Amino acid sequence: MEPTLGQYLMVSGALFAIGLLGVIVRRNLLIIYMSLELMLNAANVALVAMSRFNGNLDGQVMVFFIITVAAAEVAVGLALIVALYRKRQTAEVADLATMKL
Amino acid sequence: MGDQLHFVQLEMMVAALGLCVLLGDLFLPMTARRALGWIAAGALGLVFLLSFRESYTGLANGEAFGGIFRLDELALFFKRFFLLAGIFVLVFAVDFAERLRGGVSEYLAFILFALSGMMFAASANDFSLLFVSIELITVTFYILVSFQRHRMQSLEAGVKYLILGAVSSAFLVYGIALVFGEAGSLKFDDLRDAHAELLESNVFLFGMLFVFAGLAFKISAFPFQVWAPDVYQGAPTPTTTFLAVGSKAAGFVLLIRLFGSVVPELTAQWTGLLIAVAALTILYGNLCALPQRNLKRLLAYSGIANAGYLLMGIVAQSGEGTAAILYYLAGYLFTLVAAFMIIHLVTREGEGEDIARIAGLSQRSPCLAFALVLCAVSLAGIPPLAGFFGKFLLVKSVAAEAFGNAGYFALLAVAVFGVVVSIYYYFGIIRAMYWPGETPDESPVAVAWPTRVALGLCVAAILYLGLLPDKPMNWANTAANIEKRSSAEAADPRR
Repeated sequence: MEPTLGQYLMVSGALFAIGLLGVIVRRNLLIIYMSLELMLNAANVALVAMSRFNGNLDGQVMVFFIITVAAAEVAVGLALIVALYRKRQTAEVADLATMKL
Repeated sequence: MGDQLHFVQLEMMVAALGLCVLLGDLFLPMTARRALGWIAAGALGLVFLLSFRESYTGLANGEAFGGIFRLDELALFFKRFFLLAGIFVLVFAVDFAERLRGGVSEYLAFILFALSGMMFAASANDFSLLFVSIELITVTFYILVSFQRHRMQSLEAGVKYLILGAVSSAFLVYGIALVFGEAGSLKFDDLRDAHAELLESNVFLFGMLFVFAGLAFKISAFPFQVWAPDVYQGAPTPTTTFLAVGSKAAGFVLLIRLFGSVVPELTAQWTGLLIAVAALTILYGNLCALPQRNLKRLLAYSGIANAGYLLMGIVAQSGEGTAAILYYLAGYLFTLVAAFMIIHLVTREGEGEDIARIAGLSQRSPCLAFALVLCAVSLAGIPPLAGFFGKFLLVKSVAAEAFGNAGYFALLAVAVFGVVVSIYYYFGIIRAMYWPGETPDESPVAVAWPTRVALGLCVAAILYLGLLPDKPMNWANTAANIEKRSSAEAADPRR
């Protein structure tokens, strides 16, 4: 049985929701970062599925852009988190509170 | 292919300049690094002049790369705007160099890369270019914000910007995916033709809402403004300036193009939503700015409030509204560059930007104090400076559409209330300078001559935009009118 567009979109919506939930409830920067990747990949799943059912390859090209940009973002982001860890010996969000009103 | 490259010549020059700065760093001695910044600023000035060449402006209203890159008057206006901002920020960065502690050339190069991203954003006519240029800006800003790795605040600001920026990117791409699924194309031109029939589709509406959320993050509109105060405060001051001016303007050029020209009927349907976002942004920014003691944080909240004022131009949904946004942004550029430069100069020694540190500036350096007064007065929107005229145009554009819609009147009331509230905290800055409780330091502030020239130009521009608004008003109208016509042209065949 061929999966329908709706089923693909349900998977992608679920991935997006799980990722967003992870960003909101988890307190460790690395886990938050993983959840963010999940959100980006949810969009990739949706784009590929839409592209196939629309018969238009633009969406698949867009996925390549997203993968490339996500890789650049991870390179910068992990370097930043490592720099922070060296300075504070922690990767918990609760410790990021030097600036308050 | 060769012809198409003519369209992106300015962007390519800026990106190549960034690479040249990185290469020059390898061959130049440590002492010459400073000169590298001034050379780069001069080269950007040359690019700025090249943008007025006949052979380049003649390409206006053309499209390249299968229609994903559009060069119209609006794009030209914003490219010049970004180039000017880039020149000021480079001069600023050279002055800031010793506080960065190493890697000055990289800092300059990243400013140039972010600048090329903004210039691409000004021409984006397709969701793929929109996404890639936004990400080019955002990812380079992660680095620029956290560049002072020895300062905990800078790192913390970087991580906060990283997480929240990545969330907004995720919303943006998911929105793009949903819009692509419904409209069947990533091109703005196709979307313009198709969107009227999609207004009933929930998938399309959700997609556009997510795209709006991604762009609202860039301009720090409510409820996507939480990052702004911490990031503005923690980032190195030239980065803060570029973030407040360049990144915000990049968000606005995309909002103008997308919501003003590509999906006008959706914008009309969402008028209530946009009014609510603009009003809440104005209220939040102004009310939260009241108790602030840190100058950069104060300007961050004022930046949120200003994003709300600028959104009024989108709400107005008219050529006048767009022209008002352009005019306001131009005044905002010069005001913020001058304000942040002075804050940097005064707080150069030691940590922190508490408002007490500018105490007695009127005695230490009367010229700097006077320039900061001009900035505060212009931001508060008091005649006859640039900020007043910009706010006046924005209010006028909304008032012109207001008949028969109570929401518009509510927005106008909120805007006027916001202006009145803002006078209180802007005058707090002036009071600290001229009527200090005690003056900790009496020595005059030393200012290098390039910074002096940049400050002088900013002050002159603030006065010029406020006192002689005719000519700049014409430029803003030309840039805004083309945009309206292009949407009208696309709409005609359907009718």
